[in-house]
Amino acid sequence: MAKVLMKGNEAMALAAIKGGCDAFFGYPITPQNELPEYLSYHMEQYGRVFVQAESEVAAINMVYGAAGSGARVLTSSSSPGIALKQEGISYMVGSELPGVIINVMRGGPGLGGIQPSQADYNQITRTGGNGDMKVLSFAPENLQETVNIVKESFALADYYRNPVMIAVDGLLGQMMEPVDMDQPVETREVPPKDWAATGEAAKRGKRNTIVSLHLDPYKLEEHNLNLQAKYTKMIENEQRYELINMDSEPEIVLVAYGSMARIARSAIDALKDEGIEVGMIRPISLFPYPQKAFDALSEKTKTLLTLEMSLGQMLQDVRLASNGKHRIEFFGRTGGVVPETDEIVSKVKAIMKEAV
Amino acid sequence: MKRITVLSGHYGSGKSEIAVNLAINEKVDMLVDLDIVNPYFRSRSVRDLLESHQVRLVESTIENASGSDLPYVSGTALKPFLDPSIRAIYDLAGTKAGAKLMMQYTEHINPDSIDFLLVINIYRMETSDAAKIIALIDELEGSAQLRINGLINNSNLMKETTQEHIEEGEKVLKTVSEKTGIPIAFTFIEEHVKTNHIFAGRNRTLVRYLAKHWL
Repeated sequence: MAKVLMKGNEAMALAAIKGGCDAFFGYPITPQNELPEYLSYHMEQYGRVFVQAESEVAAINMVYGAAGSGARVLTSSSSPGIALKQEGISYMVGSELPGVIINVMRGGPGLGGIQPSQADYNQITRTGGNGDMKVLSFAPENLQETVNIVKESFALADYYRNPVMIAVDGLLGQMMEPVDMDQPVETREVPPKDWAATGEAAKRGKRNTIVSLHLDPYKLEEHNLNLQAKYTKMIENEQRYELINMDSEPEIVLVAYGSMARIARSAIDALKDEGIEVGMIRPISLFPYPQKAFDALSEKTKTLLTLEMSLGQMLQDVRLASNGKHRIEFFGRTGGVVPETDEIVSKVKAIMKEAV
Repeated sequence: MKRITVLSGHYGSGKSEIAVNLAINEKVDMLVDLDIVNPYFRSRSVRDLLESHQVRLVESTIENASGSDLPYVSGTALKPFLDPSIRAIYDLAGTKAGAKLMMQYTEHINPDSIDFLLVINIYRMETSDAAKIIALIDELEGSAQLRINGLINNSNLMKETTQEHIEEGEKVLKTVSEKTGIPIAFTFIEEHVKTNHIFAGRNRTLVRYLAKHWL
């Protein structure tokens, strides 16, 4: 299909339909409202299910139920709404239910504001749920990448029998960009969902039950070790990142994701015009964090400058990934403030001055 | 252009960018942001730029609360309808609900002094063909209680726009014109598209004042 001009939120909605989403359950919140608005109109045309639930808590439990019946399910919200959904997400991980969660991030804590933010990093990567849990999570940078990841995510969720979260800041939800909605994406071989509760116990000869409750601690430990094996598999197979301007083995390497990476790109170009070469690691997967990109850094790279629209959350993962090999610097704005290119340029120059 | 221009268009049509472009180039006195639907990228983010061109921006938010998503229309928005010395552009949301805001001014509207223009980008799925555009025209005219008397061809794929994209848009809009009798009033051409081709209506270069350069 030829390219069309899409707004981030509606592009994600259409991508979900194209990715085979059977049902959507959600509750409105700015800045992601165009997503459910689009689905409320279009899901019916495709014979799919759309429900506006009475709350975020209701929505995530509807996701749990529909996923348990074997459907491909989506919910979307923004930061405080995702916080409300954490209990349900933990239950999904515990019950090994697939599902896709789109988080269009805004400023926090609490209700915060409606402007773009990346301050959910810890909520996403450490999760707000209880137990030894992980959610496979991606943070794309532009609408084409977002669309492709949303389409792919339903198969990924089924493959791992685990929730997948796609986190974009409010800017990506609201901005417009040309996209090809039909670019082919990677598919996964997904075994039939013989675990689903479909009301066919008589036909199957056994009753499928979906629970996250295991009262025998040895059984619960065994269950957790199985989950852990899945997370290890994600770490092995799903690390995604992009390297930008790294051929010159630059001394300073930026680390940024989402909209922040877009601004960082413009800073890289501005610095290049002044004869200063800096590179960038752009994480696309947040869990698993792209350790491989850091392991492959040249010995000439001395400093990693972490850039966030939050105040030092990914910074911790950069420290872990560097493992003491680099000087770690940080620049961030928060609360919905989007930094300008020259703020990053100034920070890089300040680091260079100190290094002399 | 008449003394008052009301611009409407589906979200993503480029209406707000065009409102700013026209406000600056046509040297109007006031740009009224009546778009209470879209929470980001509104004309109000260019207040300083407009002020430097002596254009007063009337915002659709409560003063000093730009982060609020509370729908709000300033009382000042009525002024151009009462004071014939003021030239103004209205940026009106292009949805059934958004366009209804126009109805509050119905009793003050003199059709001779007002243009109601519809901004179209055929690369938006909601306005990709003549039938969809005509349905939108009917819907907006009903909600706003005002006849659309001009179309603006803003068919683009942002930085990826070529002359052919604009021509494709013109083809679709000409079909709309034939069926509705509404002429193409303007064609907007992205700054980077270098062409000597003369498109329908008044040809204008589109300067992107609202989008950040890294977007």
